[in-house]
Amino acid sequence: MSFLEITDLHVSVEGKEILKGIDLSLGIGRTAIIFGPNGSGKSTLMGAISGLPGYEITQGSITFKGQDISRLSVDERSRLGIGLSFQYPPAIKGVRLLTLLETLNRQTPEKITEYAQLLNLTAYLDRDINVGFSGGERKRSEVLQLMMQMPDLLLLDEPESGVDIENISVIADGLRIILEKDQPISRRKRSAIIITHTGFILDYIKADIAFVIMNGHVLGCGAPGEIFEEIRRDGYSKCSSCFAEKFCEEYKGAL
Amino acid sequence: MNTVQIDTGRLNEIGYNSCVASCGSFMVLDHTVMESHCNIEGLVVLPLKQAFDTYPHVREKLFFNVVPRDSSDTTLQAAEKEPVGYYVFVEPGIRIEEPLQAAFLFGETGSHQFIHNIIELGEGAELNIVNGCTTATHGRSGTHIGITETYLGKNAHLGYTMIHNWGHDMEVFPVGAVSVGEGARYISNYVGMTEVRKIVTNPAAYVETGGSARFYSVIFSKGDSYFDTGARVLLKGKDASGEIISRVVSEGGTVISRQLLSGERAGSFGHMECSGLLLNENGVIHSIPELRGAHPDINLAHEAAVGKISREELSYLMTRGLTEEQARALIIRGFLDIKIEGLPDKVQSFMDEIISRSVEGSI
Repeated sequence: MSFLEITDLHVSVEGKEILKGIDLSLGIGRTAIIFGPNGSGKSTLMGAISGLPGYEITQGSITFKGQDISRLSVDERSRLGIGLSFQYPPAIKGVRLLTLLETLNRQTPEKITEYAQLLNLTAYLDRDINVGFSGGERKRSEVLQLMMQMPDLLLLDEPESGVDIENISVIADGLRIILEKDQPISRRKRSAIIITHTGFILDYIKADIAFVIMNGHVLGCGAPGEIFEEIRRDGYSKCSSCFAEKFCEEYKGAL
Repeated sequence: MNTVQIDTGRLNEIGYNSCVASCGSFMVLDHTVMESHCNIEGLVVLPLKQAFDTYPHVREKLFFNVVPRDSSDTTLQAAEKEPVGYYVFVEPGIRIEEPLQAAFLFGETGSHQFIHNIIELGEGAELNIVNGCTTATHGRSGTHIGITETYLGKNAHLGYTMIHNWGHDMEVFPVGAVSVGEGARYISNYVGMTEVRKIVTNPAAYVETGGSARFYSVIFSKGDSYFDTGARVLLKGKDASGEIISRVVSEGGTVISRQLLSGERAGSFGHMECSGLLLNENGVIHSIPELRGAHPDINLAHEAAVGKISREELSYLMTRGLTEEQARALIIRGFLDIKIEGLPDKVQSFMDEIISRSVEGSI
């Protein structure tokens, strides 16, 4: 049994089936990239794994650390070690970022200051969460919150969208700390699934495998850099021939 | 001092503790002044009746002046009674950092308490007053009528904090008006966190040239409480400014929240924000923001919103591992969190503590 095992997952949103039988495995300490055109179901997959309301699992299962989590609430899943970075995080008037970080922090109090400095958010700690934040500031705030949580499974929904190049590198610095990228793969304990449209994040975070999702199905998997190149060159429509069966089998065998 | 009848637990809840360092203190139990202390030169704290004898202008010029005797049935009723309350005066140029504490304790079930306070600050004087009103544990029901007339000299500054902690069978009618002199600043904070049968209050500030008046209120309505509260800021002079911020959380009862900003001379500037949060279907929040402009060169604006806690915000916090209850408490606490510029840390942290206690007790 792998760290995260998704089997025949069907998910509906407002009565409409979006995911139509997803199978996906992720090993401990691994990072997976998910590619897919708009509307293919990438964000729905993130919502279903994290347990956000509105994503109804109609068939199949999600197993995390050996436990079927598909009936657990969003906060129970979070406490089990799942952390989500929202594509569009909401603003919460009245709740200061620092107050939330202090609530989440399970490390030393100095870590808040250290990580806020790393993400250039020191001046934002006393501000209400995401109120008046730019797109890039919101994404950095997401990473800062996740650095307090230190989840075992990181779900990143387009972490670089709306972020300038300079800040992508700052965000990646934070993510690399969570994912222990300075450690050899065998020692890493945290895994990640990253949705990306632009692929920019791949320049900063090394991923182990890429999946392509279209129309609610996983089309196939392969080496992240190669798949990204092919999609960029030929688009998603020709991607059905871009998968490396051997690569995927080796990946699964290594889990 | 009659220590037998004074309920120290209830007094602590409204921030009154005669042992805590403060510039002075004043306490009334039912109709009797129990304590009247002043520890600082340049500050006068006296029972109003005594002040009438010592300072004739108090009766002649300040008593029933900014609050007219015939302004309502409540004031007419009060005018017939012997005045019980304080006269506070700060000499010109005297700035006092430690807050003055005042408490009005209600103990006699079924009776009517009439209070009349007068505050006068000389030119450039500064003071903070924390007023707490509470019912003793044995005083279950009754009526409290409290009139407060405030006169701020040129460039004076008054922070006036009112904490209500009445018993749930009380009816309370505070009447207040403030004359804000040239360049003077008035800040009012109102905190109402406990269940009460009825509170009706709508204080007014008349602001002269370059002066400012700011009213902040946080109300947590529970049970069958009825609050009809508000504030009126009448910008009479040039470049006068006003701000009214009201936050109401309801898990029951009715809250009518009235605000009026009126600009009458060039350069008037005012901002108003009334926000209501309904936690369930048991309560009603009726927000009535009003703007009145009587000069083209003014800038008055308001924002008002009444709604529930957003599901999206709750889910967001829950993805961080907070339970629904914890997420709700964080949002409600944040909603009621008003950081007030110019308020001493001691008063602000006490207000924060009362609000936190009330939210935790509710969730």
